Amino acid sequence: MKKKYFSILILGVLALTLSLVNSCATSSSLASNRSGAQLWGENCLRCHNSPSPETFSDTQWDAIVLHMQVRANLTSNEAKKIVEFLKTAN
Amino acid sequence: MIVAVFFIVGSQKICAQSNDSLLLQEIESLKARVEQNKPGKSIFMLRGYAHSGFVKTDDQVSFDGGSFNPLLMFKQSDRLLFESELEMELASDGLEINLEYANISYILTQTLTLRAGKFLTPFGIFVPRLHPAWINKFPTKPLGTGHSGILPTADIGVELRGGAYLGPLKVNYSLYAINGPVLNNGADEPEEGGKLHYGRFPDNNNGKSIGGRLGILPFPNSSLEVGFSGMYGLVGKDSAYANTAATLYAIDASFVKSLSAIGSVIDFKGQYAAVMVGDAQYPDHENPDELISFTNNSSTYFAQFSIRPALISTPVIRNLEFASRYSHIQTPKGSEWEVNQNQWEFSVNYWIDWRTVVKISYRSIQGEEGHEEGEEEGHGIGEGNGLFIHWAIGF
Repeated sequence: MKKKYFSILILGVLALTLSLVNSCATSSSLASNRSGAQLWGENCLRCHNSPSPETFSDTQWDAIVLHMQVRANLTSNEAKKIVEFLKTAN
Repeated sequence: MIVAVFFIVGSQKICAQSNDSLLLQEIESLKARVEQNKPGKSIFMLRGYAHSGFVKTDDQVSFDGGSFNPLLMFKQSDRLLFESELEMELASDGLEINLEYANISYILTQTLTLRAGKFLTPFGIFVPRLHPAWINKFPTKPLGTGHSGILPTADIGVELRGGAYLGPLKVNYSLYAINGPVLNNGADEPEEGGKLHYGRFPDNNNGKSIGGRLGILPFPNSSLEVGFSGMYGLVGKDSAYANTAATLYAIDASFVKSLSAIGSVIDFKGQYAAVMVGDAQYPDHENPDELISFTNNSSTYFAQFSIRPALISTPVIRNLEFASRYSHIQTPKGSEWEVNQNQWEFSVNYWIDWRTVVKISYRSIQGEEGHEEGEEEGHGIGEGNGLFIHWAIGF
């Protein structure tokens, strides 16, 4: 039981430390105001490398971003911004 | 002279008109071709991933079959998506094919999606997000995860999920009802009495498991996420186990950040999970007529860190990635499947492109394996060290 609480404590301390580290380098703008390019870079990287926009066609990106909207819990607005960015950059 | 000028001007006009008409014809023809090939709203895609490699442990030196996981994706409309993933894996006795998931998703609102079918259980972060071979930074998995682990993998049910902004915070959420874990009462397999099995079909009782996950992203750049998962449900079948329930919870954290000062992307992931099953008695492995009981609590955790100098201009260096992971598992003391192990993994990865990687990895496992032998990767594994060289591709 002690081990469990110790692990939770470690995770909490780690999260707090990372928060402090990150707060020095974070833009003050609200998350909901971020551009498609920013959302593409930041959200993809949370799990895997950011995909190159030229990997897929406009039509294919429509399907892939819908898939990722569900998988990564993106809002519809975020998904729309990301797909628009990918279509202009591919 | 005047007649000659009129003649030249006139002939140039005729030529220009003729060129314009040819151009118009060409445009019309191109328009028609574009119209013919105009994509519809429905889109079908075949995607997925595969991996294979070489393994050297104390027990074996072998090329490892790996797996091929085709992901079928069908975008029916802007709101409706069907997706399914198969796992085709080489096993010692042939080819194993499993349905990893098959579900339909409907976008209800800007922030809410309804999903139904078999889906990856939103419990912690490893299984729902990090397990695909081209995403997992190691050829191996943290102890306790995977198909033979102690945590949920995929199950059949319905789910509401989505993401939203709460002022400066972003949150993501999932709430689901699934068949849930199935308790092994040890009647047929005394050595597994008290174990939970996941993704079994049909359900062994009428009670459904309810669960959810809440993820909080406190920064606008989504670099940090802290997640809380929980699940509860009845797991037993027969009268002796009719009221036996299981409670599971997990806390996870993820921090990913590009640091220009060191020209690198750093990536930290961690997860702690606990499984608590209500009191019950199970047949003794040695003497099945006798019953034994134990505190049926299990836990597992992992922490991994990787750094990739992705912002360095030299391609060979920026494609490299260094990763390490520590994981631990503890299953119930006194049970036949008791395991108390630690695992270290170190990996040097080379990214050929953003979704193709070669991993050279070293793994070391220490600790007690309990009574169970020959358990597959992800649960109790024999003590010892191993070298793995794997490739993985996402497509």
